[in-house]
Amino acid sequence: MTQNLDLTDIQGNIVKAYGSSGFFKARYLFLRVDDGDKGRDFVGAITSKVTSANEKLKGDDALTVTTNMAFTYAGLQALELPTASLVGFPSDFVMGMSKRKDILGDDGPSDPKYWDKIWQEKVHIWISINGKTSDVVEERYQWILQQIKATGGVTLLRGHCGEDGNGNAVDDLPYQDASVLYEKDGVTPTAKEHFGYTDGIGDPVFDGQTNNAARVIGRGKLTRSGDWVPLATGEFILGHVDEAMEYPQTAPRPDLLSNNGTYMVYRKLHENVGTFNKFLDEQSKDYPGGKELLAAKFSGRWRDNGAPLVHTPDNESKAEWDKKFAAADDATQKRMLTDFTYNEDISGAKCPFSAHTRRINPRGSLEYGVKDAFHTPGALVDRRRILRRGLPYGKVKDETSDKGNHGIIFMALNADIKRQFEFVQQQWINYANDFKQGNDKEVLLGNHSSKDPGKVVLQVEPGSGKPPHFVNNIPRLVETRGGDYFFIPSIGALKLIAGGLVDPT
Amino acid sequence: MANTSGKATALTVLSPIVNQIIDGKSCADITRERCYRLPIHEKSPLAKVPNTYLARLFVLDNVYYESLTASDSIFNFSEITSIFSDSARLKALPRKDQLKSKYLVFSTNFHGDLDEYLTGMWEKWSYDDNGQQRGVQHIWEHCVAFDGVKDSSSFISYMKRCQLDATLFFNGSTDDSLQEQLKSLYLKQEFSKFAAANQGKSAADLQQAFKVFIEKVQPENLDQPSWVPGQSTP
Repeated sequence: MTQNLDLTDIQGNIVKAYGSSGFFKARYLFLRVDDGDKGRDFVGAITSKVTSANEKLKGDDALTVTTNMAFTYAGLQALELPTASLVGFPSDFVMGMSKRKDILGDDGPSDPKYWDKIWQEKVHIWISINGKTSDVVEERYQWILQQIKATGGVTLLRGHCGEDGNGNAVDDLPYQDASVLYEKDGVTPTAKEHFGYTDGIGDPVFDGQTNNAARVIGRGKLTRSGDWVPLATGEFILGHVDEAMEYPQTAPRPDLLSNNGTYMVYRKLHENVGTFNKFLDEQSKDYPGGKELLAAKFSGRWRDNGAPLVHTPDNESKAEWDKKFAAADDATQKRMLTDFTYNEDISGAKCPFSAHTRRINPRGSLEYGVKDAFHTPGALVDRRRILRRGLPYGKVKDETSDKGNHGIIFMALNADIKRQFEFVQQQWINYANDFKQGNDKEVLLGNHSSKDPGKVVLQVEPGSGKPPHFVNNIPRLVETRGGDYFFIPSIGALKLIAGGLVDPT
Repeated sequence: MANTSGKATALTVLSPIVNQIIDGKSCADITRERCYRLPIHEKSPLAKVPNTYLARLFVLDNVYYESLTASDSIFNFSEITSIFSDSARLKALPRKDQLKSKYLVFSTNFHGDLDEYLTGMWEKWSYDDNGQQRGVQHIWEHCVAFDGVKDSSSFISYMKRCQLDATLFFNGSTDDSLQEQLKSLYLKQEFSKFAAANQGKSAADLQQAFKVFIEKVQPENLDQPSWVPGQSTP
């Protein structure tokens, strides 16, 4: 039976992504709790406006601005949660992101010592404002400042790198702004990030999220019969059964504190646009398929419209696909973008093993054509999925330079940070044993070092007589500039925290 | 049980540690501390013992007690009686075993013959311990009857007396000598660099580059260039 979710209890942006519902602007605030009592009053004040998953996001009577809230482990300590509840949180969350740098590969320029100054502070609370316009975001921001003033006991932390109102680089902003990128006209929103790729197409679908079977294709889990069904709710929301038919082990006591909550990984990822463009130009000189095909080989999708490489492995098939795509209705277009597996491409000749989409979601292809190797084709994949809820930040002023502040605010939601996000980052992005590619890192996100630059192999069809293509000297294209692990409680749990009523006995 | 698989040998040695206290420290703790102080990677004494694929050294304090395993069977007599009496539950539990002494456990997978390997351990095992050169005797010093070990042949017979049958083999290894395996890995890595650096070249240029490559890597020369045992970085 389909899972019924308590939408009024679950915070917004978990079940439905704000970004795809017209909320193109976002602002992220980070606060320190200086006084437990007053801090809880502040949490209560904000909770009155926290957006639930039940709110209408589209249409005339829909919301135009949202507010959500989450906490670091230190934040929950500062809000004086009972010790018997605190000890139930998992060690990855307790340690926080900067202490997990060896697992995440945050080394060299991504080392926490180079992060935005705010990450040297005691970050306790995360508040996000998502809005349909900058004005409504600013208005909600002003309201939050009023609450800070009214209750006291919390400090809004400064120290984000960005630009002031005059376009000058500063390093002490009191918030992090994010926004979708626009077409050259400055008005038409896009789903692109700064390297020009379309982002967030293949987000997972879990039980209770949608009744539309077509939306599950290529995004849920692959069954033995070849159908796609939604992933277990417990992979993303605590208090629900997960893919192992168990309740997530990461839930603190009492159930009312953890149920309908989840964990969020917040990462500010700077994109080295100048290096990327130079690298792509240089590498495509020797690449027979040309620059755009090579760019697609890095990601698994073509930059212009997100066409999956598995169905468009060369320029000819891409042209055919584009024609069909242009003529298709909205539902068919969505299906064309997600309806594929890598079992159609076991050799990696179409979509390389190093491509971003193949690394973060191998789509039931880790059986490598061995019949019934696991109990389902996706057995090794279904417990490593993450919901991505981020937005780009900043503007690229000079496409030949890495300087400036622009990248992606990456936000991943999952029930178990270690098992899901950290595993994907450590084993699939920065290592390739599961893909039989030695230690070749993923091209775009891998932590390539200048001392030992990365390489990947673009395979060709076996028996084609063509040589495989090597992509060499891969530089660090994306750098971590900050972040932490947060617990997003349910709205009911927010009220318990605010009231000092969390009772683990 | 076979201690060999192809040309690989698995050796597991359990040497009892003397149950004595020296200057306020138990011999087991002294031995454990000496194990902790062994250098690792290239500087490990095991990197010097020829043909070691993988080895492990630790002090076993006691055996673990395993209680009753969970049972899905519908009828389990001890579970039923446990409802009525705790003593019935306790009686149904497995017996608790104790080791009479603590053991130094040495477990290794290597290429070739056991006697030759143990001779290599006796002769080549050496490392720098804060300026002092240590041999293999330093680790085993406080093991029962090790004071009778004076030379390689008494070392070999001591180790064999402490040997257990072992069938656990390191899977990431071929049947070749360590030197051959290290050379193969070196060649594989260098060849992938060569392929990447020379793609797109004409056949003539490629052949020329390949000649230079072969001269550099010397495939027939197992000594060098190659990886050294225990090598930790490229």
